[in-house]
Amino acid sequence: MTHALAILAAGEGGNGFWIPHDVNEVFVGSAAFFIVIGLLYWKAGPAIKAAMAKRGDDIAADLDEAAQAKADAEGERDAIATQLADRETEVARIHADAEATAAKVEADLIAKGEAEAKAIRLRGGSDVEVARRQARADLQAELARLSLGAAEAVVAESLDDSTQADLIDQYIAQLGARS
Amino acid sequence: MSEARTETYAEALLGLARAEGAEAAVADELYRVAREIDGNAELRSTLTDASLPADRRTKVVTDVLGGKVAPATLAALSAVVASGRADELGAIADALAASSAGSAGKALTTVRTAVALSDDQQQRLATALEAAAGRPIEPRFVVDPEVVGGVHAEIGDQVIDGSVRSRLIQLRELF
Repeated sequence: MTHALAILAAGEGGNGFWIPHDVNEVFVGSAAFFIVIGLLYWKAGPAIKAAMAKRGDDIAADLDEAAQAKADAEGERDAIATQLADRETEVARIHADAEATAAKVEADLIAKGEAEAKAIRLRGGSDVEVARRQARADLQAELARLSLGAAEAVVAESLDDSTQADLIDQYIAQLGARS
Repeated sequence: MSEARTETYAEALLGLARAEGAEAAVADELYRVAREIDGNAELRSTLTDASLPADRRTKVVTDVLGGKVAPATLAALSAVVASGRADELGAIADALAASSAGSAGKALTTVRTAVALSDDQQQRLATALEAAAGRPIEPRFVVDPEVVGGVHAEIGDQVIDGSVRSRLIQLRELF
């Protein structure tokens, strides 16, 4: 206040003192000041109080809202954390399933390969055996054909008239034995 | 050739032979001539050549067999050749011989040997075969080198095989 009065006094052109020369100006000025203050307190005070109260309420509401948002965010964070945990569990399960499936497929492929290899070995052995038997049979047949051809030639050569007569006599004797 | 046609030809030729009183001669000679022709490729080819006129084929028959067989046999053979059935002469001759034998109450019996048989052998064989068949037979002896040795006899549908050939075949089947 004194500072303001000094400034006012300085505005009047100044007399070297901190109060005007005219004391009435001090009274009038003070009265006007208090009137203005009073008017301000009377007219603007409630509005200011209301504004201040509203401001407090707003801040409280903002705080509540912030708290709620914080709680929501924390809930969301927890949910996400839970989901992440579930995802990790699912990933672990899928990974385990994949490993189990891969192991089973590998085992199946190995078993199938071994079975096919065994079948091929057996078939190969069987084919070789069949071919060997066929070759043996063919050889026997060829030997028989050649032997019989030679035998026929030898027999035909050895069948002179006497032998032919003997064969016919044997035939007649056999007929006699039948009848 | 169908069996019915063979039988018809055989019966017709047999009727002609009977009419001429030469049934036995025709049956025997036609049977033998049929086998001779069957074993002679050139003669068979000539007699079965459809491009040759019938009189040319019958002339060949006359030239080859004239005077060697009975006139009734030559006539029967010429008839078969002229009608273009020379390739069926064997079947016709068999049917004629069988029919002739059957008329006499005998079974036509074909006896195949590798060598020609003496009269004594033929007689003993006929007797033995007749005894084995249990009925009278009409034997026809044929020399067939395929027999190799021994005897192969067919009495109607009955076969009595004592040939070396059959033994060789049995031996072949054992392998």
